[in-house]
Amino acid sequence: MGPTLILEGNAHTVEVLRWRPRLVVLVDGRRHEVTDVDDGRDGHRSAVVDGAVVEFMRAADDGRCHLRIDGRTFEIDRIDPRDAAGGDDHSHDVVRAPMPGVVVDVHRSAGEAVLRGEKIVTIESMKLQTALVAPRDGVVAALRRAAGDTFDKDAVIIELEPLSGEA
Amino acid sequence: MTTVSCPSVRSVAEAEPPFAKVLVANRGEIAVRVMRTLAEMGIASVAVHHAVERSAAHVLLADEVVELEGATPIAAHLDGAQIVRAARAVGADAIHPGYGFLSENADFARAVGEAGLVFIGPRPETIRLMGDKISAIEFARANGVPVAPSVMPTGDLDAFLAEAEAIGFPLLIKAAAGGGGKGMNIVRSAADLAEAARLAASEASRYFGDGRIYAERWVERPRHIEVQILGDGRGGAIHLYERECSVQRRFQKIIEEAPAAALPIALRDEICAAAVRLARAADYANAGTVEFILDADGRFHFLEMNTRLQVEHPVTEMVTGIDLVRAQIEIAAGRDLRLAQDEISLRGHAVECRICAEDTENGYLPATGTIRLLEHPQGRNIRFENALSRGQKVTTDFDPMLAKLVVHGRDRGEAIDRAIEALGDLAILGVTVNVDHLARILGHEAFRAGALHTGFLVEHAATLAPPATSEAERDRALIAALLGFHEFRELMAGVSEPHASIGFWRN
Amino acid sequence: MRRLVSMIDTRSADFRRHDAHNRALLASFREKQDQARHARPLRDLERLAKQGKMRPRERIEKLLDPGTPFLELSSLAANMAYDGESPSASCITGIGIVAGREVVIHADDSTVKGGAWYPLTAKKIVRALDIAIENRLPVVHLSDSAGGFLQLQSQVFPDRHMAGRIFRNQSILSKLGVKQLALVFGQCTAGGAYIPALSDYNVIVRGTGAVFLGGPPLVRAATGEIVGVEELGGADMHTSISGTCDYPAATEEEAIHIGREIVAQWEGPKKWDCRRDAPEDPAYDPAELYGILPDDIKTSFDMREVIARIVDGSRFHEYQPAYGTTLVCGFANIWGFRVGILANNGVLFNDSSLKGAHFIELCNQNNTPLVFLQNITGYMIGRDYERRGITKDGAKMIMAQSCSHVPKFTVMCNGSFGAGNYGMCGRAFDGRLLFTWPNHQIGVMGGDQAANTLAEVKLNQMKRNGEEVDEAALRDLWAETRSAYQDQLSAYYSTSELWDDGILDPVDTRNALGIALSASLNAPLGVPGYGVFRF
Repeated sequence: MGPTLILEGNAHTVEVLRWRPRLVVLVDGRRHEVTDVDDGRDGHRSAVVDGAVVEFMRAADDGRCHLRIDGRTFEIDRIDPRDAAGGDDHSHDVVRAPMPGVVVDVHRSAGEAVLRGEKIVTIESMKLQTALVAPRDGVVAALRRAAGDTFDKDAVIIELEPLSGEA
Repeated sequence: MTTVSCPSVRSVAEAEPPFAKVLVANRGEIAVRVMRTLAEMGIASVAVHHAVERSAAHVLLADEVVELEGATPIAAHLDGAQIVRAARAVGADAIHPGYGFLSENADFARAVGEAGLVFIGPRPETIRLMGDKISAIEFARANGVPVAPSVMPTGDLDAFLAEAEAIGFPLLIKAAAGGGGKGMNIVRSAADLAEAARLAASEASRYFGDGRIYAERWVERPRHIEVQILGDGRGGAIHLYERECSVQRRFQKIIEEAPAAALPIALRDEICAAAVRLARAADYANAGTVEFILDADGRFHFLEMNTRLQVEHPVTEMVTGIDLVRAQIEIAAGRDLRLAQDEISLRGHAVECRICAEDTENGYLPATGTIRLLEHPQGRNIRFENALSRGQKVTTDFDPMLAKLVVHGRDRGEAIDRAIEALGDLAILGVTVNVDHLARILGHEAFRAGALHTGFLVEHAATLAPPATSEAERDRALIAALLGFHEFRELMAGVSEPHASIGFWRN
Repeated sequence: MRRLVSMIDTRSADFRRHDAHNRALLASFREKQDQARHARPLRDLERLAKQGKMRPRERIEKLLDPGTPFLELSSLAANMAYDGESPSASCITGIGIVAGREVVIHADDSTVKGGAWYPLTAKKIVRALDIAIENRLPVVHLSDSAGGFLQLQSQVFPDRHMAGRIFRNQSILSKLGVKQLALVFGQCTAGGAYIPALSDYNVIVRGTGAVFLGGPPLVRAATGEIVGVEELGGADMHTSISGTCDYPAATEEEAIHIGREIVAQWEGPKKWDCRRDAPEDPAYDPAELYGILPDDIKTSFDMREVIARIVDGSRFHEYQPAYGTTLVCGFANIWGFRVGILANNGVLFNDSSLKGAHFIELCNQNNTPLVFLQNITGYMIGRDYERRGITKDGAKMIMAQSCSHVPKFTVMCNGSFGAGNYGMCGRAFDGRLLFTWPNHQIGVMGGDQAANTLAEVKLNQMKRNGEEVDEAALRDLWAETRSAYQDQLSAYYSTSELWDDGILDPVDTRNALGIALSASLNAPLGVPGYGVFRF
């Protein structure tokens, strides 16, 4: 079983037939031999596909690859079986309190766009301050607690606007 | 992190630096660019920044740093009083405002002077004169610079409409205090005029706090030609030839070049002379840009004057070999212009591409993200003006322009070829940018032919759209992506022998 | 090493006839295999789909590393038992690669009677775990079984090598430090419940996975307690309350994903350093094996032609090429691994037996794994041979082979009759893996010989009793005996009863042996030494 990659909104399957001595893959059933494989790191890289050198610039993490190749820039997403599985997984739409405590500072307000990892609220519990950060890029839908409010463990503190179907 | 290869700047006998320390009241690529010249001149630089910019390139580059307070980063950079206090606190002699932010704010320029510091720019009254579209046009008309048939704002809307209709259509309605394409509207028939005027007025008051509007003849297929001038503030002024900035989207330039494409010499001289006339009349002190609209018949009229360093100033630097920031600083320090008009000559051709975080296929909507990879071309003929770093978050806090790629060639064709090649070597990955689109524009036959006008992108939208990807291209892209995915590399490294060589096999 | 030179004329009438014959056998094998793997009542498949469950083969494909082989074992187990009700003996076993590690996979097949264990199911799982123990291979269980098939409980439950052996083997594996992971996809009841419980790690799918000794109906019958599946043994209960299970998963795919990550945490194998060279494809096309294997078991052929189509570069260093020529011995590489090969080129005489015993000792001394290619009608019989000690020479070969401390592998290429089976590492001799080709026959003697022998005995009996010789009865006895024998001689019977680890397409032999050799290196070499050789 190979990964499913999304390019320009279309799903493509890539199957590996053989790793060595040459990498042989099937892209949607089309066979390609890849040699002189690059080191897999980000940057200006090249590989030889079916005997021809292919140069590209690439930045990839687990799920998304940004690629500039042949004068075109692409975003290619890799479908993670976990994501594919959890169809009803809205766990990234809310931020819950990891422990009971009090809100000491609110950094962003409803309607503001936030990037993953951005601080939205700071809470304090047992003399320990913790930042609650955006679990993903998105827009703050609601703050369920204001500065000074207390809450119990697992209380919803922040809601993000659900992702619209960006298929 | 800027790596720039400057074209040979005409060497000027190094005198004593005019200032010991200059605060740069800006950020991003322009702050970095100004600091580069400051360093060359032996002047200490001071950066200002908001809390979110602590590790920004201009902050890391500066000799001294002041953090500004502000509800938003933009508010901080617009807080003139705070910036003046900061400049005094660090003992700066002068403030360079860059472009945007406070660069054309007459009150700020005045406050700087009143604080005993030098504002690297024109006198406040010049800023005020040119900052107001109407007073600027009237000043131009009075000094023999061609202006478009227009209607000035009146308190009486009906009278305004009647006068406007008399000019004929199409008409352009603009905010008197405007800029940046906001509050602008093209009206093609009398029926639409009243509604358009009302809309423009309301936008104008919303954006600029000034609801006055004016109307002028709209030129079809107009070219945007601007002239770089230097004025010494004592009536002396020279021009550094023109730039063409006709390729625009949403009234904003994205590709500029110097000199203009296929501009008859006589017409160029006429336009440049008009610009110098205006600067001399205003006793202009600073580098400045006089913008003109040129129509297909070779008639041109004054659009506006920008009393600051222009975004696209590097193309002029490349073809003239003059460092405009250095010139600004020397003028601000009261020194004479070192150059006479006949000492200015053009060498080759330069093209600038504005690299913007925007989705060109989706109405140029600003894009956000994190820069995952930054690779840029280098070379003698290339300037990559930027303040970017890998891992930097691109937000809507600031302008979507991330960087400028400026390329020089012996002639226009070579400059275009080199620019296309340089764009090919450029990668800003992680946020959607217009790099591919820019390359398609430069490679377009109409662009190469110099058939430019401000509606170029709309006219050629179909042929500038990205061609559909072929199966082979997609396969190559998918393979290149696959090779970068961590999990795939783990498998590639982890699969043992002989299994990796046996490959997929079922018995 | 020099390349073998083939004497085969691929354009000959014999070659083409053999080729047609063997390809027909292969087609029949593939047909049976396809049936066993995929033919299921629609009703069962629909039930599975409704539960959101994958078929066991889909799970395995998702579990395995892409671009890697899976050596399925005993795909036709039970094909001649239970009127064909238990395809593949209701489970899938094999050796595959997960997160870069060689593992044994055992997957219950709930599309057959809820995955209930038939007697041969238990035998097949026990065998898979024996392979794991012998080769120190980690095990991934894909559990989805209701437990023992109650109607046949007397053949599933009590004896030494029945279901209990599964749990004994699991415990021994753990003691040996060999990891086990169970992914619980369905209700694992009774015996089935111990598989995840005895695994070092387990993952359970929320909603469909459950683990309990007795299901709700049994609980109700035994104690009157009324309790639902989830509450009794569901994913959340076991992962948050009882601690019987480690990781809850929202879906089967997530369970597999977690499982792959778990395997990725395991320490890498510490293989012994068997000599390995760069692999090289055979110089002769392995598909030519179809034209080499005869269409009549009585027709002889040169095993070097078979070797040339299995080993790397068709290169073979033959030992004692001029002595004991009915047993071909020599060194070769398979997927780069250096092996010693023993292959039959006729009946075993005294000299060939002594050569075999000596070569086995050489390989042991050199830590070279052994590969036996069987096509043997037995040791030579008759006065002269007995006087020369054929029995004690055969015994030497059995002794040397049995006591070998290097891994051994056997391929049943054509025929395996009589004591030759023993000397050549038959099933009883704990070879790491043993495969059978579709044309192969196995028995204490051939069908004709057995019928002749029994008819002879009957005739003597009649004579002794002074009866009139009933020719017709003798003919019937002969035909009956031969027919019954013939069925039991076939590769399908052999594999049905798990006398082997599966039937192989001859062309697949090289890959199967490569995977088997690689797997065998995970276990440390045995202790060298032999018993008493009778000289």
